[in-house]
Amino acid sequence: MKAAPFDHHAPETVAEAAALLAEFGDEAKVLAGGQSLLPLLSLRLTRFEHLVDVHRVAELHGITRTDDALRVGAATLQAEAEHDAVVAAAVPLLARALPHIGHFQIRNRGTVGGSLAHADPASELPTVALTLGATFEAASVRGTREIAADDFFTGTWSTALAEDEILVGTRFPVWAGRTGYGFAEVARRHGDFALAGVAAAVALDADDRITRVAVGMLGVGATPVRAGAAEAALLGTAPDAAAVTEAARAGMAALEPADDLHATGAYRRRVGAHLMETALGAAIEEARRG
Amino acid sequence: MSAPAAGRYVGQAVQRKEDPRLLTGHGRYVDDIVVPQMLHAAFVRSDLPSARITAIDVSAALELEGVSAVFTGADLNPGAGTMQPSMMAENPAAVVAPLTPLAGDDVRFVGDPVAIVIAESRALAEDAAELVVVDYEPRDAVASMEAALADGAPLVHPELGGNVASDLALPEDPELEAIFASAAHVVTERIVQHRHTPTPMETRGVVASFDPVTDQLEVWLSTQGPHEARRTFARVSGLPERHVHVRMGDVGGGFGQKFFTPREEQTVVLAAKRLGAAVKWIEDRRENLLAANHARSDVATVSLALDAEGHVLAAKLDHLEEAGAWPVGGTGGVGPFVAMLFPGPYRIPRIWWRSRVVWTNTAGRGAYRGPWMFESVAREQMLDVAARATGIDPLELRRRNVVGDDEQPFTMATGMTFSATTSATTLEHAARVIGYDDFRAEQARARAEGRLLGLGIGLYIEPTSTPAATLGVEAATVRVESGGGVTVFLGTAAHGQSIETTMAQVVAEHLGVAYEDVRVVQGDTDRTPFGGGTGGSRTAVIAGNATREAALKVREMVVGVAAHLLEAAPEDLEVHDGVVAVRGTPVRNVSLAAVAAAVHNAGTGLPPDVPRLLEATGRYQTSSPTWSNACHICTVEVDRITGQVEILRYVVSEDCGRMLNPMVVEGQVHGGVVQGIGGVLYEHFVYDDAGNPLTTTFLDYLVPTAAESPRIEIDHVVTDGPNPEGVKGMGEGGAIGSVPAVVNAVADALAQVGATVTEQPLTPVRVVAALEAAGA
Ligand SMILES: Cc1cc2nc3c(=O)[nH]c(=O)nc-3n(C[C@H](O)[C@H](O)[C@H](O)COP(=O)(O)OP(=O)(O)OC[C@H]3O[C@@H](n4cnc5c(N)ncnc54)[C@H](O)[C@@H]3O)c2cc1C
Repeated sequence: MKAAPFDHHAPETVAEAAALLAEFGDEAKVLAGGQSLLPLLSLRLTRFEHLVDVHRVAELHGITRTDDALRVGAATLQAEAEHDAVVAAAVPLLARALPHIGHFQIRNRGTVGGSLAHADPASELPTVALTLGATFEAASVRGTREIAADDFFTGTWSTALAEDEILVGTRFPVWAGRTGYGFAEVARRHGDFALAGVAAAVALDADDRITRVAVGMLGVGATPVRAGAAEAALLGTAPDAAAVTEAARAGMAALEPADDLHATGAYRRRVGAHLMETALGAAIEEARRG
Repeated sequence: MSAPAAGRYVGQAVQRKEDPRLLTGHGRYVDDIVVPQMLHAAFVRSDLPSARITAIDVSAALELEGVSAVFTGADLNPGAGTMQPSMMAENPAAVVAPLTPLAGDDVRFVGDPVAIVIAESRALAEDAAELVVVDYEPRDAVASMEAALADGAPLVHPELGGNVASDLALPEDPELEAIFASAAHVVTERIVQHRHTPTPMETRGVVASFDPVTDQLEVWLSTQGPHEARRTFARVSGLPERHVHVRMGDVGGGFGQKFFTPREEQTVVLAAKRLGAAVKWIEDRRENLLAANHARSDVATVSLALDAEGHVLAAKLDHLEEAGAWPVGGTGGVGPFVAMLFPGPYRIPRIWWRSRVVWTNTAGRGAYRGPWMFESVAREQMLDVAARATGIDPLELRRRNVVGDDEQPFTMATGMTFSATTSATTLEHAARVIGYDDFRAEQARARAEGRLLGLGIGLYIEPTSTPAATLGVEAATVRVESGGGVTVFLGTAAHGQSIETTMAQVVAEHLGVAYEDVRVVQGDTDRTPFGGGTGGSRTAVIAGNATREAALKVREMVVGVAAHLLEAAPEDLEVHDGVVAVRGTPVRNVSLAAVAAAVHNAGTGLPPDVPRLLEATGRYQTSSPTWSNACHICTVEVDRITGQVEILRYVVSEDCGRMLNPMVVEGQVHGGVVQGIGGVLYEHFVYDDAGNPLTTTFLDYLVPTAAESPRIEIDHVVTDGPNPEGVKGMGEGGAIGSVPAVVNAVADALAQVGATVTEQPLTPVRVVAALEAAGA
């Protein structure tokens, strides 16, 4: 389990990093926290001649809040975001999802951008990004561009980022008003990738009617997915518990999770519906208190 | 029953001598060994479960700079001696799979080593290994016992003519059939325990250095048995034993995987000998999961006949044990032992059994903490099945059948005789600690709320220190050094058992020195007496009593010298904490240091009959196992939606005789229990139907972590073991009782809604499937 030989590059600016990616093309890969990339390299499931380590690129670090968005620099550690009061206040869903990533040792090295760029369908952060409709900022020698979350996750471990592009930061929308959030997942052991998980966000009007709702799932498809049927069932209503259960059932029914070593698709569907009910229930409850 | 009193040192929870280095990360493991100009090895392994090798091209690998050699079977197999453990190698009747250092004409499981690459670094060796081109002609494989036993199944070992390694059975028994025909209750169930792998935290590893001038082989090894390793290396290499020196440092777990000396380590030794060089091989995790010996994988159809009051009248056990392709001899085919032990602590007057061991194209089976423990799994599950069928509470059913503490020695229907166990007592103690009746009330209340709680019992007796082949004897040498300190030399091989601590306690107690003044040396074949290795719950009983004898012999020598120095009669002297004093007149004393100084100084005028050396070897030999026992009870809650199991409470009542150190005993119990929980709920080594392994990283092979470990409450029943030190073995037991306890607890919870599980692991998916099948 030793990686095949590679050259390690440690640029200090986004421009330098982008130049390296442009120069080496498909022989290069961005290295962030290494928590996903290094195991793949060590098992020789993948190999790159050049690793462009973005750890020292100051522009990629940091968390900033504007009125309607929270921007998290790509190389910001998961642990930093997890313990950041600004994150907790602006995007509670992100703060609640973060502790579910692996173990604290992983989060001390893993980065927010690394998790998003790696795009494991059982990962928490991609689902949060999709649920809230985050915007991804990418840079390359060709310039910068923004990618909407709906367009970002293109398949298992693949994103809309081009080979020569760096993820610079991600903007998570800040929801205003009477809002509430829920996150729930089931994993085999503490710290394992989830068998299934749900992120839910709702906003209510003064009469407790749902004015905005977003439900995303992890572990039930090739990418993170939105449970559109559940959202549609709830929007504009002031649901009781039975209505939430019914919405979750409908949301799950529209999805077709697959079998793998750790769970069958049928299991994911059963548990997914339950998690959706739990996460939505918690979100609505919280919004009603607000 | 009177509990023997603890001694000044023996029986005390003294701090472990191992702790300062192990807890601060300063242990020294085989990977810490660096030999000048050492080379590194990597194996090229088969990625097919069964195939003929048509060609191997090593030229590209050899061209890589820094690569010293690439050996294939053609290079290392001819002339290699037997690779079997001593107990098989020395038993001409043993049927063994034809193991060679590297694959010969074919490969027989995914992971079979085909070539070994030797290079300047491990990374380079892996680079070169990728360049070795092996051409295969794939064959059909058998990846399960079912497939292996099917008509016309492909053969794992074509030269052996069949996939059944052994098939033993008692003759048909019409009388037993008559009992079954007329019994008030008959229950039959198919019990399945799945494949695990031991997963020591430190993988296997070896550094082998051969000097062609002196013909001397120096080996550093991660092992449970350096003396067995020395014999094995001598056999495979053809070197005389005296030219083989094996050493070990700290070892990060073995659980049976390092008890005998595995194939890869032997192959590395042959490569080092061929090159006249030093070669290091540190197994990586993927290799460990793929190719180090696996464990468990048993299936049995079991029937019990009971009378109307729930007394077991007879049992039938048809057991299949999966051996994989290259089982580790002696531990890879324990099937008949499972049958022999099946009655356990219960009166089962009549039994019929059949035991088959089956080869498959998978990693070989070997020892794993309690290698025969399927007997407890099958029996304890069946007792719960019987309890449900008869409507008798499972605790009460066990009470009616358990052999009383005062009914021993007791001979099982299988012929095994056990004595001095306290199963009935531990059953009651564990039930009391868990609050059995209160729990049943709580379970009913929870059920009314729609929640599923369950309780499971695992009651077992364990034959420890089983004296197979060389395993029935150990020697210990105790030496008082010239300054009065004490060194103990043992043939043991601690890998987590705190032997430096417990054996120092034994010496401190019986020689009469301070615990701090004793140092234990083990793991070096040049310095320590021969020993069978640490495993099979044998160290406390066999090495412990040898150590005791050696300490007492040296004490006698010390007293003899002191008698002269103090001008007192030896029988009037007592020795405590390194001071020899006249009983009743403590001011008349001499320190052990002064005694040692006198012995080592020619001018002290000691008479000629006084020993000039304060050193003695003790030896302990046993001809029958020492039985220990325990009762595990746990309670669980099963999540009705997710199928996840939460362990609510976990209680062990155990009797391992006199405890050398209760903290160490509890540590061993904790570790074993967690392994058992892991085995039932998480760990599962999976092959697909074609024979491809699917769980070759820790992402997929799930071992329990601290987060999955419950608090474990331990109750000690202390009785005297049948040996001078009064001890009974206990290292494996935690991993035995825990499995049926957890399985039965989940089954008990599910039974309330009519759901049944008899097959492990109890994954969320399986539990949900059981609930769904019951419409719950
Ligand atoms: C034991 C263990 C348990 C884990 N459990 C979980 C879990 O439960 N949930 C979970 O979500 N994750 C889990 N992970 C993965 C972990 O969260 C990783 O940290 C994360 O997936 C990748 O982040 P990283 O910073 O380590 O990225 P790296 O591993 O360095 O990179 C991952 C991928 O992202 C690319 N990349 C990284 N940064 C950028 C960038 N700025 N621009 C473009 N591409 C980039 C890399 O090129 C690479 O392809 C676990 C990991 C381990 C080892």
